[in-house]
Amino acid sequence: MTGAGADMVEAVRVLRDEVLDTVQHGDREPPGAEVFDAVLRALAVGGDTVPGLDLTLHDAVARRLAWGDGEEVVLADAESVFDRLLIAVERAFRDPADQMVVAEAATLVAVTVARVVAHAAVARASRDRAARLREEMAQRQLQEALEQQQVTIALLEDEQKRDY
Amino acid sequence: MTAPALRVAGDSHVGKVRRTNEDSLLVEPRLGLYAVLDGMGGAKAGEVASRMARDTIRDFVAARRGALPPRQLLEQAIAAGGTAVHRAAKASREHHGMGTTAVACLVTEGKRAVIGHVGDSRAYLLRGGRLQALTRDHTIVEELVARGLLAPEEVARHPHKNVLSRNLGARSETRVDLLELEIQVGDRLLLCSDGLYGYAATEAIQYLLGSGDAPDHVCRDLIELALRGGGGDNVSTVVIEAPGQAPTSTQVVRTNGAAAWWQKRQRFLAIAKERGLTRNPIVRGLDPKEALELVALSLCEAVFHDLERSTGVNVWTFTQHLAGGWFERGGDWASIRGVIDILGASARGVVDEVRAAEPQLGILLDVAVSRALVVAELALGGLLSDRLRQVDTDMIELASQRDTLQSIPEFSEVPEVTESRDTSERFVDRPTIPFLRPDRPVTGAGISAEVLDGVHKALTIARARTNPRAELIKQVLVALDAIASEGSESFGTAVLSARELYGVRAIDDAGVMPLFDALDQARILTTASVHQIQVPEGTRARVLRAISTAHQRLVGAMTGLVLEAVAPFSDRLREAQAATGKLRDQLARAERRCADLERRFATVADDDGHLWGAQGDTEP
Repeated sequence: MTGAGADMVEAVRVLRDEVLDTVQHGDREPPGAEVFDAVLRALAVGGDTVPGLDLTLHDAVARRLAWGDGEEVVLADAESVFDRLLIAVERAFRDPADQMVVAEAATLVAVTVARVVAHAAVARASRDRAARLREEMAQRQLQEALEQQQVTIALLEDEQKRDY
Repeated sequence: MTAPALRVAGDSHVGKVRRTNEDSLLVEPRLGLYAVLDGMGGAKAGEVASRMARDTIRDFVAARRGALPPRQLLEQAIAAGGTAVHRAAKASREHHGMGTTAVACLVTEGKRAVIGHVGDSRAYLLRGGRLQALTRDHTIVEELVARGLLAPEEVARHPHKNVLSRNLGARSETRVDLLELEIQVGDRLLLCSDGLYGYAATEAIQYLLGSGDAPDHVCRDLIELALRGGGGDNVSTVVIEAPGQAPTSTQVVRTNGAAAWWQKRQRFLAIAKERGLTRNPIVRGLDPKEALELVALSLCEAVFHDLERSTGVNVWTFTQHLAGGWFERGGDWASIRGVIDILGASARGVVDEVRAAEPQLGILLDVAVSRALVVAELALGGLLSDRLRQVDTDMIELASQRDTLQSIPEFSEVPEVTESRDTSERFVDRPTIPFLRPDRPVTGAGISAEVLDGVHKALTIARARTNPRAELIKQVLVALDAIASEGSESFGTAVLSARELYGVRAIDDAGVMPLFDALDQARILTTASVHQIQVPEGTRARVLRAISTAHQRLVGAMTGLVLEAVAPFSDRLREAQAATGKLRDQLARAERRCADLERRFATVADDDGHLWGAQGDTEP
């Protein structure tokens, strides 16, 4: 992928409403906006980058996940933006070379989003695993305390029976 | 200088994808000079570059032989070739940027050979049955590895792994790497372009080179091997053999090894019986002798025939028939695993005995029999993979049928089967895993033949550019081919491919991230390859779009699988939290009961009439 230049970025930017379906979702943070913005950045920067180097995209996806959007939802939005963008570009750009530049950028972003989501999911699994270990340790301590209490209760009940 | 009596042959093929052959060969027994050159550059410039360098090298050696020591002679000849190409590239706009790789061998008196190379064409030496690479590719990543700036394991993933750091023509002066060696009786030298090793496994090259066949047959077989592997690039080979009495390792195995194996067949059966083959459920109902003959002797024969012909086809067929038949009858996995383990142990027992009697032959037989056992495991793995694929297809088919039935009014009342686990939290309103989305068809939409052809070509080129050891990237490329062929709605194929790629993995970064690295590498490779196919620009855009969509589908399905894999961790955590809560409740109840009992004691007076707890240790 080569640097696409400001004209190309602007040409893709005008497709924003169509791609993000702002009529349906409104103009303020429509689903997948972070993906569309990432495509624009990829077009502006150009060139193959280290996978997942777009920290802004990482940040945006992480923020969505932190605010409670599921990983599946983030992924589905990215897929929807990808599909709609390719359709819009095929209609809007006559030059096949321009279409190819956008398709390359969109694929790069799709892979990056998937990587970020998978990374977040794996990190969550690690946290869950650690939390489960902590729970199991707590369970052992609780079990011991419970057994001690049961012994005490049994003693007290015995004594009480003897006294009466 | 007179060249020693060697058997030499060379051959070249345009491959299955390229239209022109940009490789050039040099086979000059009179001069003892042999070379393979792989040209590069637009239009026909690559062809021009490799030919020009070849002719210059040949003319230089012919003119100066005797005047210079062999090492300097070859070094200066190759450098002269580079200078000639560089001048021509500068002089003509049409040839601007052209260049070529070169690997050349100059054989001198006393059977000494000098090997010089620039670029990524390679020289291999087969000696004593072992193949070793004599050259190191002049690529950017290899240079980084040599300088300690890149770990060898990172080479396969590096985006510039195919970019040459040196070639003939890029500069007016070229540094040539040289190596000298003594040619021994039975040695075989192979010079080849990347069209060979990029498409053929090193083990297969070693096998063909060590087959003992005449060099011209070996050249032809090597090219056939590369073509069967995809043939995405021009492929050229030169084989130089120092004939001698010493038989090759392959010949030894074919004759003495096979005979030694067959002589030990009764021992093989005895070990198999000792290890319990006749008690395995697979041979239930047969008498022990019959069972041994049907299973153990059949494998023994298969190995014998494979040793004789240096193939694996007989063992493969045997395993497929045995395991396939057993699975078709509804047999279990443990039994077939048990049989293969028993046969493997019996084979190793026989090999150990041969090794104790004849160590040299034993080592060769050990390698050959181990290979046969690996073939058996591969056949078994192939069967399991087929079964898994069938299960996946059936599941998708059933899901599709269910959705169709539910769309018909009279069937819409049929209660939907629900999972026992509550999935509402995970799949909020837009589930991503494709086969869980009833609105998506699982079969493909149409794709034009022209675009399909372009997709195949681009992916073939991408495979050619992939490091032969980068298996995961190759698998991704194969998957992309399958998905793109099905069209943009091919979610079923994407899921099946993702499942195959995912395999069995640890749920952590080390387990999962290599998948995404491979997907990203495949993206870079395919994008570059699409620009290399020769089609109209509009078709090229459609090809790229088809591959990009396939890529997106594969990535989506893969991430869906990762999400599926991590889901149980949250479930288990929730279960553990619930169990902890229950224990806390029990403990709280026990503490209340305890306090209650202690309170009762406090109201009981002792013999002296004092209340318990009156000292303040228990509340009244």
